[in-house]
Amino acid sequence: MNSSMVKSLILKDWYFQRTAILLALAGGVVSLGIIAFGGQPGFTLGLILLVTIMVMISAMSVMGNVLGERENQTLAFAMSLPISYLEYTTSKILGNLLIFVPFWLIMVAGCVSLIVAGPTIHGFFAFAIIMAVEMLLSTCLLIAVALVTESKGWSISAMVAGNLALNVVGYLVAHIPGIQRGLFGTKIYWNLTATVLVVIEFALIALLLGGAFFIQSRKKDFI
Amino acid sequence: MNDLSVHFEGVSKKYPHFSLDNIHLELPAGSIMGFIGANGAGKSTTIRILMGLVHQDTGSVRVLGHTMPAAQAAAKLDIGFVSEDMRLYCPATLAWHMKFMRPIYPRWDQKYAEELARRFDLKLEQKIKGLSHGQRVKAALLLALARRPRLLVLDEPTTGLDPVARMEVLSELMAVLADEDRTILFSSHNTLDVEQISDQITFIDRGKIIDSDDKEAFLDRWRRLRLVLPADGVVPRLPGVVAVGGSGRLPVLTTNRFDPAMVSVCTDQGATVQAVDTMTLEEIFVANVHSRRERLTA
Repeated sequence: MNSSMVKSLILKDWYFQRTAILLALAGGVVSLGIIAFGGQPGFTLGLILLVTIMVMISAMSVMGNVLGERENQTLAFAMSLPISYLEYTTSKILGNLLIFVPFWLIMVAGCVSLIVAGPTIHGFFAFAIIMAVEMLLSTCLLIAVALVTESKGWSISAMVAGNLALNVVGYLVAHIPGIQRGLFGTKIYWNLTATVLVVIEFALIALLLGGAFFIQSRKKDFI
Repeated sequence: MNDLSVHFEGVSKKYPHFSLDNIHLELPAGSIMGFIGANGAGKSTTIRILMGLVHQDTGSVRVLGHTMPAAQAAAKLDIGFVSEDMRLYCPATLAWHMKFMRPIYPRWDQKYAEELARRFDLKLEQKIKGLSHGQRVKAALLLALARRPRLLVLDEPTTGLDPVARMEVLSELMAVLADEDRTILFSSHNTLDVEQISDQITFIDRGKIIDSDDKEAFLDRWRRLRLVLPADGVVPRLPGVVAVGGSGRLPVLTTNRFDPAMVSVCTDQGATVQAVDTMTLEEIFVANVHSRRERLTA
């Protein structure tokens, strides 16, 4: 694996997404502010805004860096560089994750801090962590589908599926007895059920990204 | 074998509506090959296989001593590639592209890149989206040449350019090619473009290589003989005749194995040779394609 080449491609993708990253960070900070100081309505509004910004940054990153290469006909240029297609795939997966994950980590850390430091919503902790990992899972689904299909239609479908899944998973998780029990409590609540759910989510992430690598390694036509 | 920059042996690639069939191609180091074919003949597929961007179903491909597609990353370190469907990053400037590529290629020549920018009349700080199509092609050429590649692969670089921009690109390309020895594969459906810069010619049609030779050999061995036959005369039997045109007593024979002795053979058989016309590369290409297609349908 030519790591310096992969790094060059990641830095290139960051460069082209720099405005979106900065805007998302600013929006994220504003959302956290609303959550912190907006009272109960602000908590809900800020959370919705934060989720929307996370969806937006993952969509913009994948649409721009993965699908944009083909749509803007820059894929031939990228592939004329001394890289293999697996190195290209690695750069795209890592590049998109490295755009999304730092933002995601900051926002999740901020959100969790507010939950922990807040006066009455401590029980929300486990649910917030599970849903945050679910958002990461949705982003990985989008990255994998965009890379493998190289199709805007399929990628939009994956994005819609990811967002719908967020609502469905949110509803289901909130109704799992092991989670529901402490959800509205005043104590930070974490149990085996929460651990199992997070492990399943990370296993699915590994499966999606590993699957994308596997399918890419079997492709015979790249342009 | 070692001084071949490109070596295709029995390469095939099958698509639902197109097949590249048993391609044998040899490009010696230091030569400039014009790769000519009609639209959809298989030029771009062949070049994509050469670059490792498309994997062949069968056959072997070696480029600069590397086995493709397995060693494509190592091979591409020494290849400059420009294709008609290649675009640079629109939001970035040419200077950004140069800065991006500089650490990637150990032989990147910044002075040469800047000299080419002056020669091509390109502004380094102008964004790619503000460039005309001709300027974009020149920018892509600059980025390919400044890495000092051992092999330059140009896939229809002049397609879509207006005549003025095409001539500018070609003349500048010829000027920079005169700088030093490079191995070049230049594909086009425009024979005039290819004729100007190539010393070897390969024709491809419907996924098959139909002829390959030195340019001068092509121009030397292809001729049109305009004959006048006597009243009861028959068309003389000559070697390499691929087409018989004209009419009645005024046949026009196209041969790909011309020899000056053919004139006396015609005379001996009672025909008068009115003219022996040389042929342009375009005429040779068209005659070649027609004769092959006629053979296939016969």
